[in-house]
Parts: sequence; structure tokens; C-alpha cells
Amino acid sequence: MEEYNSGEEVSFNPDEISVSVKECVEGVIGGTDYNQSKVNQWTASIVEHSLTHLVKQGRAFKYIVNCTIMQKSGAGLHTANSCYWDTATDGSCTVRWENRTMYCVVSVFAVAVAL
Amino acid sequence: MLLHVFPVTYFEFACRLRFPESVVRRLCRLASFNGAFFIQQAGFVVEDVSTIIKESVEATIGGNAYQHNRVNQWTTSIVEQCLSQLSKLGKPFKYILTCVIMQKNGAGMQTASTCFWDNSTDGSCTVRWENKSVYCIVSVFGLAI
Repeated sequence: MEEYNSGEEVSFNPDEISVSVKECVEGVIGGTDYNQSKVNQWTASIVEHSLTHLVKQGRAFKYIVNCTIMQKSGAGLHTANSCYWDTATDGSCTVRWENRTMYCVVSVFAVAVAL
Repeated sequence: MLLHVFPVTYFEFACRLRFPESVVRRLCRLASFNGAFFIQQAGFVVEDVSTIIKESVEATIGGNAYQHNRVNQWTTSIVEQCLSQLSKLGKPFKYILTCVIMQKNGAGMQTASTCFWDNSTDGSCTVRWENKSVYCIVSVFGLAI
């Protein structure tokens, strides 16, 4: 039975999150080619697993996890994020991953909860 | 600063201040004319946010075709405009906006989001927009402070 970690740190640590998100993505789509019938399950699975890992850390944050998977076919794709929050306690992390046939971009936003 | 937020009618509110009835009625007409003069609508209102996003996208991209060297400015401009309009609403929210612009050439794209928040106070709104050569997807997440 895994234990919840009630950590003392209040601010967001993007490096740790980045590592666990990359592992999630590798675990779900590593080694597969773009498949239209499965991509729905893949995105849902990536966001759920990432969120579960984040919540298990037991920190006082609200989280938003966003995942985009795009087929590599020469089309241009551009994304931008903007956030209106408390820069001392809140933060975000974006992980870009690709293989031969697709791009995957996962963004995690963490907003501190005032207790 | 607007008064917040008991679920009380304008009439009851004015009565509580012991104004004469004629004044109360006049205040109620004034309040309903102004909309939210006495009581501000709390919570994340999807329609308002959706309108803000649509206007911002139309104003930025409009009928333009996908251009690689301008797309950067477009995404930045859309999120900045939306964010400034949202902060003008004056609600006690933190906001996160994402904007994706994709060229139409037959490629497949899938996006998913999941959120760990307070369902009763927080909310999101996603607007999908397109023209002949561009798809644009804007998501706004509002988290109550």
C-alpha cells in the first residue's frame, strides 16, 4: 500500500514533474505508431496517470494536466500558455516528446491552495 | 467593491437597510438595470468566458490563412487579450489559458485535459474555432482563490 507524502515544501518543482511525466508518456505510447483509433485512449491514459502521480505527492496544489498528440505529416502546430496566478507559489511544466510518427506535448499547471 | 454574495433578492437587500418603500422600488429598478449593482455573480461563468475567447480569436486571426512566421504572434496575442479581459471581470480567480493553432492539412490531432480541483468553485471552458486553413483551440481554466 503506497503512503501519501505530506511534504513541507510549498512551491512547485518542475524538474521532478518533468521526469515523472516523461515516464508516463513513454509507458503509454513509447514504441507505437500514430493510430487514429487508439489516440483517444492514449491521451486519456497519459493525463490520468500523470495526475495520479502528482496527487500522490500529497502537496497542497490544484492541478491541470493537458496532453496533445499530433500526427507527423508536415502540418504546422503552435501552442501558447498564459497564466494569471501567484508566481511565488504556482508553476507549470511542459514536456515535449516525439517518435517517428507523432508528437506529444504534455503541460502540467500547479496552483497552490491556501489552507 | 461590490457586495457579495448572499442569495438574496435586490428587494430584500434594500429592505434590510430600512429604506422607505418608494426608494426600495427605485433601487430595485436601478439594480436590475445595472445587472450586478448589489450582488456580483460568483463562480466560473462559462458563457462570459466563451464570448471573450471568441471575440479575441476573431480579432486576431479572422480570415487570415496559416502563416508560419505570424503564428507565434497570433497565439501570444490571443492569450494576452483573453487574459486581460478575464482579469477585468474582477473575480477572485487564478486563470490558466492555453491556445493551440494548427494548420489544416489532414493531420490528426487529439487533446485531453484532466483537473484536480474543487468542483464546486472551479471551472473550464474550451472554444474550438476554424477557418479555411487554420484550426484554433483555446482553453481557459479558472481556479477560485
